[in-house]
Amino acid sequence: MPITTTRRRLLAGSAAALALPAFARAQGAVKPRLTAISQWSAGSDGAAITALGKKFEEKGGVWQHSPVPGFTTEMMNKLRAQIIAGDPPACSQLKGPEIAAWSKIAPTVDLDAVVAAAGYEKVVAPDLAKLHKPGGKWIALPLQIYSTNMLFLSKRAMDKAKADKIPVTWADFNDLAEKMKSGGVTYPVANGGTRADDGQKFEASLAGISPAAYRTAIMNLDKKALEGPEIKAAFAQMRKITNWMDPNVGAQPYATNLKRFVDGDMGMMIMGGWAQGVLRNAGFKFDDFVIAPGPSDNGKPVFLLNADAFIFWQRKEADLQAGQMLMAQLVMDPAIQTMYSQITGSIPVRTDVDLSGEGWSDGQRRTAAALKDAVANNQAVLSLAHNMAQENGLTAAMIDVFTEYAKNKTIKPEEAVTRLADAVEGAR
Amino acid sequence: MTHAASRATGRSATSEMVRRLPEYLVIWVPLLLSAAHLISFSIWTIWISFTPSTLIPVSGWVGLRNYNAVLASRNWQIAFDNLLLFGIAFVLLSLITGLLLAILLDQRIRAENALRTIFLYPLAVSFVVTGTVWSWLLNPSIGIEKLVHDLGWTSFHFDWLVNRDMAIWTIVIAAIWQSSGFAMALFLAGLRSVDADIIRAAQIDGAGPIRTYWRVILPTLWPITITVVVVQLQFAISAFDLVRALTNGGPGIATQLPALVVYDLMFQRNQLGRGAAAAVLMLLILLAVLLPYAAWRYVRRRKAAHA
Repeated sequence: MPITTTRRRLLAGSAAALALPAFARAQGAVKPRLTAISQWSAGSDGAAITALGKKFEEKGGVWQHSPVPGFTTEMMNKLRAQIIAGDPPACSQLKGPEIAAWSKIAPTVDLDAVVAAAGYEKVVAPDLAKLHKPGGKWIALPLQIYSTNMLFLSKRAMDKAKADKIPVTWADFNDLAEKMKSGGVTYPVANGGTRADDGQKFEASLAGISPAAYRTAIMNLDKKALEGPEIKAAFAQMRKITNWMDPNVGAQPYATNLKRFVDGDMGMMIMGGWAQGVLRNAGFKFDDFVIAPGPSDNGKPVFLLNADAFIFWQRKEADLQAGQMLMAQLVMDPAIQTMYSQITGSIPVRTDVDLSGEGWSDGQRRTAAALKDAVANNQAVLSLAHNMAQENGLTAAMIDVFTEYAKNKTIKPEEAVTRLADAVEGAR
Repeated sequence: MTHAASRATGRSATSEMVRRLPEYLVIWVPLLLSAAHLISFSIWTIWISFTPSTLIPVSGWVGLRNYNAVLASRNWQIAFDNLLLFGIAFVLLSLITGLLLAILLDQRIRAENALRTIFLYPLAVSFVVTGTVWSWLLNPSIGIEKLVHDLGWTSFHFDWLVNRDMAIWTIVIAAIWQSSGFAMALFLAGLRSVDADIIRAAQIDGAGPIRTYWRVILPTLWPITITVVVVQLQFAISAFDLVRALTNGGPGIATQLPALVVYDLMFQRNQLGRGAAAAVLMLLILLAVLLPYAAWRYVRRRKAAHA
């Protein structure tokens, strides 16, 4: 075993040694240039990528970012058109299993040498690393991480319920919801009505009940696990959650209800870490809410991973190639990741970044600690609702079931289990 | 003599051709281009629907696999049921509303022009705008229900938009608001073209206004009725933007319509083959409406030619 490690290190080292002077030469000869597309145009996302562009320019590069605002799918439509036209961007946003799917339709850049030179693989969660090296080679780099199952508690709703303990398990969560209800909180669970929202309710339920079942059923699509007792229990928990939600939300995004949440008219919110940035941007204070890891029945944090990433498309132009290498180095740089996450409210991909300093919130520190714990206990899993666990087609088919279940209370949990298994079968 | 005459006509026919060349160019070139465009893309879509294409178009042959997958999917089944309900309800109700508005406007009233413009105006608004505005109006927490509650009638209940059994009717409401003006305009033109002598004759025979409308005027409107039905039906079948803005297929997937399913499969699920199959199915539904209409027009024209 030690021999293999040494050999691998040697190989990586020599590859890097061979490759690095080449970058240096390339960068010396031409001005590095990067054409990039992403959906990040406004708010903290837009601010973060603009800041990244500034750093790129400081290093002597030419930054050509074309944002495609709207949903990720719109960015993908542009990417698809550019690839079909034979003119892909040097670098584009893409994430999860779509990296593997898209890498089959156009050649990508082999980043192994530059990743090895940075010693990056050691500091990335293993499940996450796997997504970015389909076929064994690094072709994409994760940029920032969110957890999709953070629990946000409204301080005013907690006061109404006369509670101060942060719920750890689903039983605690359900207790607190009941207490809030009898304490005068109209809707103990704050929610939006989008498809991703409904998907998050299910994935948070299942992963909190059993991360192992989540891995086999949702990530590996094991047929037996998909019809297992944990799935039914997750649907039952999701039913409880939906009964505490405001039925009038329609298809509005969760952010519409943030004021009612802070006011204590709604109590708890199961949402991705990005909600912290949205709450702060809306003018609310850290005293208004508490952020904790989502409920987990075994008491140890469960982390539903969602990570944004850049994929690098092969280009012949020397300046674009130099730009790609510069971009890769920047994305892996702990200082850049720190800058980026501090703007968006995410946490860095690198597990060795110290979050104790200024500029980080308690929520981010708790999220990073939860990730460390979850990785140590093998409880870090990939989010389905945010397209990290399966390709888009399968994800959408499964979310159909969740969103229908959330809105149609006559569907029984056992019926939903069958529907989910059927949907998976139909989409494969 | 005959020889000379025919030569003369030949020359004048040629000069006539030359004279009218710009007209032919203006009409035929765009017509041919758009026909080629339409037909080539239709054929291409049909071809894609038989291939295993996912992210990008690829060649290959999978037979009817895409069609089977689409037909078996819950989304398509719900979309098809919704289409039946929406198509029938929307066409009938917009027909009745349009006819009623036309008859009322036909009573030689004051400010007819202003009223006609008002009723026609929704047609000038884009479907996305209609959908968005109605999604606010119909939302129970901010729209009509809240307004009535604030006025003091607190037991009032109007939550169709978020009620999965009634949500499809909100699309019917918005669609009628948008397009009954169109039916009204056509019917009004029809009413105005009814021969005044026939109406006078009916009045002399002692028919009241209702009887005159029912027995004399309305029967002359049925060719217009069929045109309105066909135009509205093809709108119903291809409805997309209105639904996307109003309910986006929700609550859950309760208000799916075929066009939403096509878009979803092609651009959100990255399943081009299945999306193309769903598009071809939509085309078949459209043909089921348009072919009988074309046949009916053909028969009618032949009858007219013989008469």
